Amino acid sequence: MAQTPMARERLFALREQIARLEGSPVAAAHRDAADAEGGLKGAGLEGEGERPRLSFQVPLLDEALDGGLPLDGLSELRSPSLRDAAATGFALALAALLQNGAADRSPVLWISDRVTAMEQGLPYALGLKDIGLEPALFLHAVPRRLEDALWLAESAIESGAFLVSILEVRGNPAHFGLTESRRLSLRAKAAGRPLLLLRQAGEEEASSAAYRLLVEPAPATSRFLPDGSMLGGSIGNPVFRLTLEKSRNPAPLSLALEWNPHDRQFLLARGPDDIRLADPFATHPGARLPASSHRPDCPPAMGPVLAFDRAS
Amino acid sequence: MRLTALDEMAETLGLRRNQGVAEARAMYPVLDVVEEDRDADRRLLDGIADWCDRYTPLVALNGPGGLFLDITGCAHLFGGEKALLADLLSRLFQMGLDVRGAISSAPGLSFAASRFGEGGVIADEDMERVLAPLPVASLRLEENTIAALRKLGMKQVGDLIHAPRAPLTRRFGAQLLLRLDQALGRDEEPVSPRRPVASLSAERRLAEPVQSQEDILVLTGQIALSLKAGLEERGAGGRVFELVLFRVDGRVFRISAGASQPLRDARRIAALFNERLQAVHDDLDAGYGFEILRLNVVRHEAFEAAQEDFDGERQNQVSLAGFVDRVSARLGADCLQGFHLRESHVPERAVTAAPAIHALPSGKTSPARDVFLSRSARPLRLFARPEPVEASLAEVPDGPPESFRWRRMLHRVSRSQGPERLAMEWWIDGADARARDYFRIEDASGHRFWIYREGFYGQMPPPRWFMHGVFA
Repeated sequence: MAQTPMARERLFALREQIARLEGSPVAAAHRDAADAEGGLKGAGLEGEGERPRLSFQVPLLDEALDGGLPLDGLSELRSPSLRDAAATGFALALAALLQNGAADRSPVLWISDRVTAMEQGLPYALGLKDIGLEPALFLHAVPRRLEDALWLAESAIESGAFLVSILEVRGNPAHFGLTESRRLSLRAKAAGRPLLLLRQAGEEEASSAAYRLLVEPAPATSRFLPDGSMLGGSIGNPVFRLTLEKSRNPAPLSLALEWNPHDRQFLLARGPDDIRLADPFATHPGARLPASSHRPDCPPAMGPVLAFDRAS
Repeated sequence: MRLTALDEMAETLGLRRNQGVAEARAMYPVLDVVEEDRDADRRLLDGIADWCDRYTPLVALNGPGGLFLDITGCAHLFGGEKALLADLLSRLFQMGLDVRGAISSAPGLSFAASRFGEGGVIADEDMERVLAPLPVASLRLEENTIAALRKLGMKQVGDLIHAPRAPLTRRFGAQLLLRLDQALGRDEEPVSPRRPVASLSAERRLAEPVQSQEDILVLTGQIALSLKAGLEERGAGGRVFELVLFRVDGRVFRISAGASQPLRDARRIAALFNERLQAVHDDLDAGYGFEILRLNVVRHEAFEAAQEDFDGERQNQVSLAGFVDRVSARLGADCLQGFHLRESHVPERAVTAAPAIHALPSGKTSPARDVFLSRSARPLRLFARPEPVEASLAEVPDGPPESFRWRRMLHRVSRSQGPERLAMEWWIDGADARARDYFRIEDASGHRFWIYREGFYGQMPPPRWFMHGVFA
């Protein structure tokens, strides 16, 4: 098909405009390249193309998310049922990861859904500590109606006082459709603050979130033994099975991610191959230390031992 | 049944209070008798007292049909005492109320003059002259005292004023002369206002009543601006504000809003009422508009002026406080809460939630008090109340179950940790509360639960299993 240069130029401009509306990094790269050619790059516009992102430090996931979860927009987490807290755990682990990297100590806001709060309870402060969050920097709200919850989320983003706001929604309510999610997404973008939408027991639904992850529980890792192997039958760090349901990347992605609350980092879950099961029939269970080869240790000094000051 | 109140027509017919209804009906068969509704009377009087707030913040109820207004320092705002009284009486008359009033420097004399005398403004030197011809009933005495005085021929207060005091006290007790002295202004009589007096207040009277929410908010902002000087003078900021709206037809609305930090900034005070007005929108009937707006500072605290810095830390605190105030004003203080840890090993008692408006989370790192906490794993979500679980094939005496049924789903246990035995707090639950053995359990599909067994096997009643939370 023959295209005049004019038409091609126009098509290119339109494509670029769409890409810019969607905020994809491709457009930014294009623009940067164009600016570099023209030498017109203004100092004030330098950071415009780059959106702040939260990197998981897991290359597989970061690549699929174009470098990490955007910190100036709406991202959606979905859990298939109300029976587990995997999605809750993943959302709070993300908050802990953010809190770890943040310089200022802003609190985290949890906007709960009333029915979910009745079914599953509220986040438990000691459990928050276990997952790496500071309970003193955690506020939760239980609004009566969904409209109030949306208003809360919106004003929380606008205030800019929170590190991350987590909006919990149960199922697919009719009052929370594309319009409302678009509104929240635009607000988050304007304020440059992250908003996590936690859809408990919900179906996939069109929303204006840039990414949607399905979070399911997966068997936890085992606890480490001092020699680096794992103790079979023990429950260690939580593992989440993530499925990337919506992204710019067309390739489907599903992976198991382990959250290490002590180091506050995500890891790809290791396979069960290096788990050492404790032998239930061993005569002397436990680590076998080598016998001393040379001679017994010298006997300890008797009587009171005082730490005298050094004479000189 | 007796008559308790009469209208003017009935009074001219010669009916009296405390007359039997049957007797009155016999005299005038067409008499219209309505049963007394004390609550409605009380509500009407409360409404009038609210309305009278426009003249002075010190309004006190006096008996079933009277009000005391302490207008010390208020009269000049209305052009003098006489003008104030005339204004008050004419306004209430326009509303269809039959009102009498008197202004004097003693509440007792005002009572006597308005109910039994001419009313009006009584100068200090005229007090004795005005009081002398009034009947002794005007002194707020008990019924039998009045009857006894009447028997002695002492019908007017004037007879009492010049009578020797000692025999009167001996005969009638101290009350009589106390009342007399109070009426003459020789003894103090405090008037206790029906509402706590605001520490600061400012108001705006409008020639043209306002109706729209925007106008109210703009005016609130302006009034708040005029409060600022007073707050600065005291070195204080307001924690609880009250906006009083006087509607043209006499109804008074009071809207109060709290703040998480002492406030002086007019914009933030107005923002509080913005959310508050949104919340009470349906209950606030503007009718023909509001003519007086008043902003009271109900509670104030020391305001610590902080210098703005460049790194934004303080700015963050301010925006957080602003957010908390807005949410609390709109959705109630209980909606937004923060956690506080307590020293208790019982999971549901270890954490309490308190409204964020009372204890704002601070950016400071050091907690005020170190709380000793359990270091074993705790679930991410704790159920409000533990849910019963049907556990089967549990290891005896204290092992985890093989499988259990929770919310009609069968879960097969693949891994477990425990037991962690928590004895209940005997000083709260009593000595016979059963201990709990907690297990952290993972099922075949990776769900992690926190279940516990209450009681022990081999004891009566048999132990029961509960689900108390879920792990991430």
